[in-house]
Amino acid sequence: MAITAAPPTAPTATSAGSGTTGRQSRRNTLIGISFILPNFLGFALLTLVPVVAAFGLAFMEWDSYNPAEFVGLDNFQKMFGNDTFWIALRNTLYYGIGHVPLTLLCSLGLALVLNRKLRGVRFFRTAAFFPYVTSMVAVAVVWNMLFNPTMGPVNQLLTTLGVANPPGWTSSTDWAMPAVIITSVWRDMGYYMILFLAGLQTIPVEYYEAARVDGANAWQRFWHITLPTLRPTTFLVLILLTVGSFKVFDLIVVMTDGGPGRATLVLSQLIYREGIAQGEFGYASAISLVLFVIVLLVTVLQFRLGERKDR
Amino acid sequence: MSVVEAPIATVSLDPPDVPSPGPERHPVRTAVMYVLITVIALGVLVPFVWMVSSSLKNNNEVFTVPTQWIPRDFQWHNYVDIWSRIPMTTYLRNSLFLSLVITFLQVLTGSFAAYGFSKVRWRGRDALFVAYIATIAVPWQAYMVPQYVMLQKAGLVNTFWSLILLQAFGAFGVFLLRQYYLTIPDELCEAARIDGLSEYGIYRRIILPLSKPALASLALLTFVATWNDYMGPFIYLTSNELWTVQLGLKSFVGLFDGDYAMIMTGSVISVVPILVIFLLGQKYFIQGIATSGLKG
Amino acid sequence: MNRKALAAIGAAAALSLTLAACGSSSGDAPEDEATESGPVELSVAVWSMDQTPEFQALFDAFEAAYPDITIKPVDILADDYPEKVTTMLAGGDTTDVLTMKTLTDYSRYAGRGQLEDVTDLVTDYPDGKLAGTDGYDQDGKFFAVPYRQDFWVLYYNKTLFDAAGLDYPDHVTWDEYADLAQKLTGTDAAGQKVYGTYNHIWRSVTQAAAQAQNEGADLLSGDYGFLKDQYDLNVGLQKDGYALDYSTAKTQQVSYRTMFETQATAMMPMGTWYISGILQAKKDGKSTVEWGIAPMPQVDDVDQTTTFGGPTAFAVNKASKHKDAAKTFLAFAASLEGAKAISAIGVVPALQSDDVTAAYFALDGMPTDELSKEAFAPDDVALEIAPSDITADVDVILNEEHDLIMVGEKSVDQGIADMESRVKQDVLD
Repeated sequence: MAITAAPPTAPTATSAGSGTTGRQSRRNTLIGISFILPNFLGFALLTLVPVVAAFGLAFMEWDSYNPAEFVGLDNFQKMFGNDTFWIALRNTLYYGIGHVPLTLLCSLGLALVLNRKLRGVRFFRTAAFFPYVTSMVAVAVVWNMLFNPTMGPVNQLLTTLGVANPPGWTSSTDWAMPAVIITSVWRDMGYYMILFLAGLQTIPVEYYEAARVDGANAWQRFWHITLPTLRPTTFLVLILLTVGSFKVFDLIVVMTDGGPGRATLVLSQLIYREGIAQGEFGYASAISLVLFVIVLLVTVLQFRLGERKDR
Repeated sequence: MSVVEAPIATVSLDPPDVPSPGPERHPVRTAVMYVLITVIALGVLVPFVWMVSSSLKNNNEVFTVPTQWIPRDFQWHNYVDIWSRIPMTTYLRNSLFLSLVITFLQVLTGSFAAYGFSKVRWRGRDALFVAYIATIAVPWQAYMVPQYVMLQKAGLVNTFWSLILLQAFGAFGVFLLRQYYLTIPDELCEAARIDGLSEYGIYRRIILPLSKPALASLALLTFVATWNDYMGPFIYLTSNELWTVQLGLKSFVGLFDGDYAMIMTGSVISVVPILVIFLLGQKYFIQGIATSGLKG
Repeated sequence: MNRKALAAIGAAAALSLTLAACGSSSGDAPEDEATESGPVELSVAVWSMDQTPEFQALFDAFEAAYPDITIKPVDILADDYPEKVTTMLAGGDTTDVLTMKTLTDYSRYAGRGQLEDVTDLVTDYPDGKLAGTDGYDQDGKFFAVPYRQDFWVLYYNKTLFDAAGLDYPDHVTWDEYADLAQKLTGTDAAGQKVYGTYNHIWRSVTQAAAQAQNEGADLLSGDYGFLKDQYDLNVGLQKDGYALDYSTAKTQQVSYRTMFETQATAMMPMGTWYISGILQAKKDGKSTVEWGIAPMPQVDDVDQTTTFGGPTAFAVNKASKHKDAAKTFLAFAASLEGAKAISAIGVVPALQSDDVTAAYFALDGMPTDELSKEAFAPDDVALEIAPSDITADVDVILNEEHDLIMVGEKSVDQGIADMESRVKQDVLD
C-alpha cells in the first residue's frame, strides 16, 4: 500500500538514498528505524498489541473472566441480524456526513478570518478555541437549553423569522442528530482552526506579494495560493475529522445519550455498552472490527484521491 | 519551482507589515470584520457564560426552568469552598504533572518518528505508517480491556506510569507532524546532506526550527487532551492522591444526584491554566517564521 | 503488508491473549489465606465517598468494633462505577469487598464466578428480618449481603397543600393523585410556576410502579400490556401541564432535588435515598421546604401499600486475600450495629426492626407525623426489575421505548407494542 500524500513542493525523485546501493539502503533503514524506535516501542506495546488482541476477541466469546472461547463468525452473524447495529451504523454515517464538511469549512473560515493583523485578534482566537476546552457537561446543558423546543432562543429566533413549526431538536427523533452535529461543529472548529492557522503560517508572504503585483484579487489569491499551499493541512484535517467522526462518543453520551430512543445511538457508544457495560467483549470487539474496516476503507480512499490530485 | 537560495529559516517575532492576505487599509472592511468576529465570539462564548453563572449559584438553583442567566444571589464563596471540599491543589498538581510529561514525550518522540516517516526512505516505512494511522481509527473502548489487563500484569495500574505510557506514544502526534514535515521541501535536507550534516543534524538544525508552529500546535492539543481526559485517569488511577482535576470534579456527582454548582466552579478553575498556555503558545504558531528562505 | 509483519502481529495477538487468560485465572489462585493474625487492611470498593456519607459512617463503626481490621476505601466515581469494577475484575484486581450498586451488576459478577459464596451469612442471619435478600438468591446460593434497602414513597410539600386548602395525600389512588396534581398546579407568590407533581425521567417511575402493583406483571416477560394505564396517567399529567414535561426535564438535566427543594413541585414520587439529601439541604439552610412522605399511590386498594425499590449490598471478591475479614465486614454491615450506624445519617438499612425505625424518626429534621411513619412501613416492596442474565438487554430496550413515549414520538400503544416486539425478537429468542 503506497501512502504518499506528498505536497506540491515535494519532489518525485527519492531524496535520501537516491541511486542506492545495497549498503546504503541498509544504512537508511537503520537510520529510519532509529528515528522511529522510541515512539514505536511505546506505540507497539501499548496500542498495537491491545488493538490486535481486541480484534482477535472478535472471533471469540469472552466475559473478561473465564477463558475466551473461539466461536468463529457467531459474533458477526449476531451483529448483522441485529437492527440496533444497523441503526447505529446509519447514525454514525449520518453524523460523519454532516460533521466533516461543516467543521472543515467553519474551521478554515475561522482561520482565514483570524489570520490577520487586527487589534485584539488574540482575544478572538482564544474565544474561538474556548468551546473545545469548556467542560462537556456545560456544553451539553447549554446547547440543550438553546435547543429547547418551546422556550429556547434557537426556536424563538426561527419563529420570528416566520418558521411556523420549528423543530423539536433533541427531543425529536428527526432533529436530534442535526442538533448534535451543530453542537459538534461549534465545539471542534476552534481545534481545527489551530491546525489551519499553523498551516497558513507556512505560506510565504512573498507569494501573496507577487500575486498582488500581478493584479490578482482576493478570491484569486485564495484560490491559487492559499488553497493549494494549504493542501497538506486540509488533507490532515480531513483525515482527522473523518476518523474522529466515526469515533464520536463523549458529546453524544452527555447530550442525548443516544436518544430519543435510538435516534442518535452511534457505533462507539454501542461498543461501550456491549463491551464495558454488558461485559460481552467478543461481540463488542466484532463491532469495532467492522467500524475499523469502514474507517480504513474511507481513509484509504481519501489518500488515493489525494494522491491522484497530486499528479 | 523551488530553487533553494538560502536554506536558513528567518525567525522574527514581529511579522512584516503585510503578513496576511487581504489588506486592512479599508476602514469599512475592517469595521465589518470586527462586527463579524464579535458576533462569532459572542455566540461561541455562551456556554462559558453559563458555566461561570452556574458556578456562582447554590446547587439547587443551577437547573431551574426557565434558565436564570444571572444568579439571584452571587455565591462567591463557592470559589473558596471548593479548595476545602476537595484537595484541589493536589488534583491540579497531578493534572499539570501528567499533562507536561505526556506533552513533552509526545512532542519529542513524535517529531523524531515523523522525521523517520517523512525524510528518510527505507523499506517497510509506508506499511508501518499505515499501521500507525490504522490504530487511530480504532475506538479506545474496543481495546481498553486488553490494555488494562496488560498494565495490571505489569503492576503499573494506579501509578502515573500507566497513563504516561498509554498517552505519550500516541500515533496522532506522529501523523500530525509527518504531514507538516512533508511541506518542508526535501531540497533543504538534500542541501544539508551535501554540506555533510548527518540525519540527526538535519533533524535538529533544520527540521525542528522550521516546524515550530506544528510543534506548538501539537503541544497545545496534547496538553488540552491530557488535561481534559476523564476515562483514562478514571480507569487507571484509583488512589485519591493520584486523581486529576477531571476526576475530582466528577466526585461531586453522587449515586442519585450531583453538586453541579461545585462542578462548574471547578471547571472554571480548571480552564484557567489552559487559557494561559493558549495565550502563551499563540505567539509561537503565529510567529512569522515560515519558509521565507525559499522563493517560488 | 508482507508475511513477516503478519506473523509478528499474529504472535503479538497470541501473546496478549495469553496475558488476558492469565488475568482471568487469577480468581482460581491457590487460597493461601491460612489463619490471619495481626492487623489486617481490608480494601472496600465504594463510590463517591464525599457524596455518600453512609460509607464513612459504616467504616468508623466497624473499625471501632474490630480494632484489628482497618478499612482502606477504594473510592470510585459513582457515574461509571460498574464499568470500573468490571474492568478491575477483568484485570485480576484483589480489592477485598465490592459494593453491589445494582442487582443487574450483581447477577453478572456472580454468574461469572467472580464473587465468593456467602450463603451462610444470609441463611444464618441473627438479628431479625433482613429485607431485600430475595434479589441476591442465585439458585439457593448468595454471593452478597444487603445492608440498605430503599423503596419509593410520595414526597409532598406541606406548605403548598395548606395554601391550596387540600388534605395531605393520605393513602391515595393514582386517580386521586392526578386530581391533586391538577389542583396544586399554579403559580406561587413570586410568580414562579408550581407543578402539581414531578415525575423524574427514570423509566422506573412508570414501569416499576406498574409492575409492582399489577398481579403477575413482569418486566422481563415480553408482555407489557400492564404498563398502559400508568403511561396514560403520566403522559396525561405532562400534556395537561400538571407535571414538568419529560423533554424539558431530560434535555435540561433537571434535578429532582432542585424541583422539590425550590418548591417548584407539590408532590414527587421518589426513593427513600432522598431523605438524607433533603435533611442535609435543610440543615445547611439551602432549602426551606416543609415536607412529609406518604405511601405511594395505589391502583385501587389503598389499604394495602405496594411499592418498589432495591437493596444495596456488599460482596467479597473471589480474588481477595483476606476473605475472613471481608466476611466479618459483610456480617457487620448487615447487623443491628451496622444498621444503627447508617440510619443515624438518614439511610434506610436492610434490617427491619422497630428499634431502627424509632431511631430513624428521632433524627433531627425528620417529619414525625403518622402518615410519614406509615409511608415508611409499606406492606410489600417489589424489586424494580428482577436480576437475570437478560435483565441488562431488556433494560436497554425498555429505556429507549420509554424515552420515545415520553417525548411524544410514539403513542403509548405504539411504544408498548414496540417494547414487546423488540424484547421478544432481540432478547427472548
